[in-house]
Parts: sequence; structure tokens; C-alpha cells
Amino acid sequence: MVMNKKNIFIMQIISLSLIWIFVAGISVWILNLLNLSLELSDVPSATIAISLVAIPVFVTIAIVLTYVFVGLQRGNSQDR
Amino acid sequence: MFDATDYEDFPLIEPIENTGKAFYRTVVVLVAVIVFALFMYVRQLRIGLGVTGLNEPVAWGFYIVNFVFFIGISHAGTLISAILRLSKAEWRRPITRMAEVITAIVLAIGGLHPILDLGRPDRMMNIFQSGRLQSPLLWDVTSITAYFTASTVYLYLPLIPDIAILRDRGTKPKWLYEFLSWNWKGTEYQKKVLERAISILMVMVIPIAISVHTVISYIFSMTLQPGWHSTIFGPYFVVGAIFSGIAALLIVMIAFRKVFHLEGYLKEIHFSYLSILLLIMSLLWFYFTFSEYLTGYFGHEPYEMKVFWYKFAGEYAPYFWTMIFCNFLFPLIILSNKRTRKIPGILAASCGVVVGMWLERLIIVVPSLTNPRLPYPQGVYIPSLTEWSLFAGALSVFVLGFVLFAKFFPVISIWEVREGRERAVREVTERIESYLPTPHGAKSG
Repeated sequence: MVMNKKNIFIMQIISLSLIWIFVAGISVWILNLLNLSLELSDVPSATIAISLVAIPVFVTIAIVLTYVFVGLQRGNSQDR
Repeated sequence: MFDATDYEDFPLIEPIENTGKAFYRTVVVLVAVIVFALFMYVRQLRIGLGVTGLNEPVAWGFYIVNFVFFIGISHAGTLISAILRLSKAEWRRPITRMAEVITAIVLAIGGLHPILDLGRPDRMMNIFQSGRLQSPLLWDVTSITAYFTASTVYLYLPLIPDIAILRDRGTKPKWLYEFLSWNWKGTEYQKKVLERAISILMVMVIPIAISVHTVISYIFSMTLQPGWHSTIFGPYFVVGAIFSGIAALLIVMIAFRKVFHLEGYLKEIHFSYLSILLLIMSLLWFYFTFSEYLTGYFGHEPYEMKVFWYKFAGEYAPYFWTMIFCNFLFPLIILSNKRTRKIPGILAASCGVVVGMWLERLIIVVPSLTNPRLPYPQGVYIPSLTEWSLFAGALSVFVLGFVLFAKFFPVISIWEVREGRERAVREVTERIESYLPTPHGAKSG
């Protein structure tokens, strides 16, 4: 199976965007549960505390992965 | 395509490029076991949880035991790897990759077990629609997902330079290595970017890993069930997880050393160091177990004592004392003696610990449910063929995952080994010189 560089690059971009879709999904899910707990007055403080930890963790992982991808693309030809 | 530098570490690449018949035979056997397990699961879905040994009041059995067990094993990897990297332990280099692979595979297996425990898995969707983040069950879902994501990224990033080596050699499938290597050329800038990202992740991964097993313990300790409601359950579970994780890592290392002839990479000293860690964890585990049961016994609360005697002298006594033997006495005898602390002895001790830690999970989950605080008669739990089959299936998925990984990627990090050869001696010498006390009268550096 032979693939040209352009197709591979497109596939890499798509795979990288999957992590962001995943993180967005997790964030929407957590925010939905937060909204629900506020609506039902069901200890929203606990939900807020967990949201404040969980969402940044996922976002950081996605940022690190994106940073590496961009860094490797930028630094592949010359030493900077 | 083939240069001298790559030949240097050819034993690490050979299993990828020259796949033997043993690989296909292993895959066929494992797939057969997995297919049988799937068949049994479909049967469970069709008939219901009546095909398992679960009943009133024992609503949790093998599935939850295995869930806790597999998630515990996952601490082998990313946590140990991150700690070794962070502490700049030079002997880590041939170990970290295997440890990270264990984590990624085992987390995927363990994370699915609560779904097996549901008679109606479609009800998982309720978590998305109307879950309560106040429940420890949802803390679990969140922390395991975070740990799995972080571990997979932490496995992938240090793999990139090795994937590029395979790409440059023209190893098939070429498109896969081209796709996964992310244009790695090994320039100084790329190295800097990768090192920075790995440093961020290894700092992040440690609290995430600890939170995962702490939160799993909360599923039990946040209830008022006798034998579960304990403040030390969090650290107790974390210690047990690291303990079983190190044992699993040692077993995997010994297996790959033998099968792939990696004696030049995984040396006696690696096993010796890790086995000393295993011994320390064994002593720590025993300390926690002793504290846990002594506190319960001293309080002498009637429901607590019912569970206590059920474990110490009742139906679960054989499992309990086997656990003490496997997790404490056996490793202590073997690993504290220099003559027996050799690879065969370490393998025996590690297998013992894995069995012992599985028994520990069984002993935590089942006896508290058979002796509940509510006015039920004492329960009985006998796992059925379905549960045993799914357990065998889960173990097969683990082995298959590892075998497939080893088919496509090096099980030892080639670039880290090379980096060690080039830089480690100089760096370690400089480090030692930097913290050696300065003689009186001499100028400090």
C-alpha cells in the first residue's frame, strides 16, 4: 500500500483532530452533568470541583499532543 | 535502508521484520479463547445475569474483582515509568516501554469490566444523560478515562523516534510508520520539543495514576458496608496496585527476554533492582493489611467482626491465608535472599504476587457482600463458567495486545537505549560529582 506524503499529512491532521473532538465531548458531558446538578440543586459544589480538575487535565493532554505535532512539523528540516 | 547503526540494535527490530510461525500460532490460540469468551458474553446478554454466580446479596463478583485487579496492574506502567524517568534512574531505559504498554492494554481491559457486570449494558447511556458527578462511580469513569488518555499519549510520544527508525529502514507496512512518525527527523529542535512534552506528561501522569486507584477504593470505602468503610482504603489500594504492577512488569520482562533473546538489554541488574522494589512494596502492603485488620478487630463492631472471621477462619480463610503467603511470606523468603533473588526466583515471586493480589481483590469484594449489614441471610458466591470464560478472555486480550504490539513496535525503546550509551555515563558522573560533599578548604563547584 503506497500513500503519498500529502495523504499521510491529511490523515495525521484528522487523527489529531480526533483527540480534540474527544476532549470536547468529555467537556460537554461534564458541563451537561454540572447543568443538571444545578437544575436539581443536587450538590453542585461537588460537580463544580470535579469539573475544575477533569476538564483542564483532558485539555492539557490534547495541547501537549498538538504541541508535539506542530513542533515536529516545524523542526523537521533544520535545527532551530 | 540498512545501516550499521540499526544493526547495533537489530535484536529489537528482528521480531518486527522476521515474524516467525510461533507468532501466528499464538495469535490463533488467543483469538480462539477470546471468541469463546465473546460467545459466553453474548449468551449472558441474551439470558441475563442469571448465568453468572451473582445473586442477592452478592451483586458484585468476578467482574468487579477483575476490574479492580486489572486497573491495579495498570500502575505497573506509566506510574513506574514516570517515577523512574523523573528520578533519572538510568537503568530504566530498557524497562519503560514495556511498562507503558502494560498500562495502555490493561486499562482498556479493566475499564470495560463494569460493563460486563451490567445485565443491561445499554443503561450505560444513562451516565451520559443523567449521571451524578457526586457519585464515586462517576469519579471512576472520569479518572480512568483521563489515565487511559494520558497513558496512551505517554506511550506514543517516546515511541515516535523508534517508529521513524522503522520508517527509515523501510519496514512494512511503510504507510503505518510514515503516518505515525509525524515527520520525525531527529533534529535538535524536534528532540527538544519531544523531551519537553514527555516531561510535562510524566509530571501529570503521577497524580492521575494515584487518583485512579484512590477513586476505585472510594467505590467501596464511601459505603457503610462492613470491611469496606475505611479511611486507609485509598493508599492501601494504591500500594496494592503498584505492588501488583511491578510483579506483572517483571513477568512480562522475563517472558520477552526469553522469547526475543534480549539478554543483552534486560540484564540481571534490572531484575535485581525491580525485585528489591517489589520486596519493599510487599512489606508496605503487609503493613497496610495489618493496620486495616487490626483497626477493625480492635473496634470489635459485630458486623465488622462477622466479615473479619469469615476471612480469617471462615469460608474465605483458605483464600485469605494463601493471599498472605503469596503477597508477603513467599516474596519475603525469595527476594530477601541474594542466592534466590535470581531470575527464576523473581519469576516465581512475581507470579505469586499477581495471584495473591487477585485473591486480595476477591477477598475485599465478596466477603463484605456475603455478610451485609442489612438483614439478609449469609450469601454464597460461586463464579460460573461464564465468569471464568470472560476472565480467561480478558487475560487473552492482554497477551494478544502485547503480542500484536511487539509485532509492530520495538518492546524496548531503541532511541533511549542509544541515548543512554552516548550520554548516560557522562551525565551520571557529572551528577554524582555535583552532590558529593566538598572537602573542607576546597572551593565548591
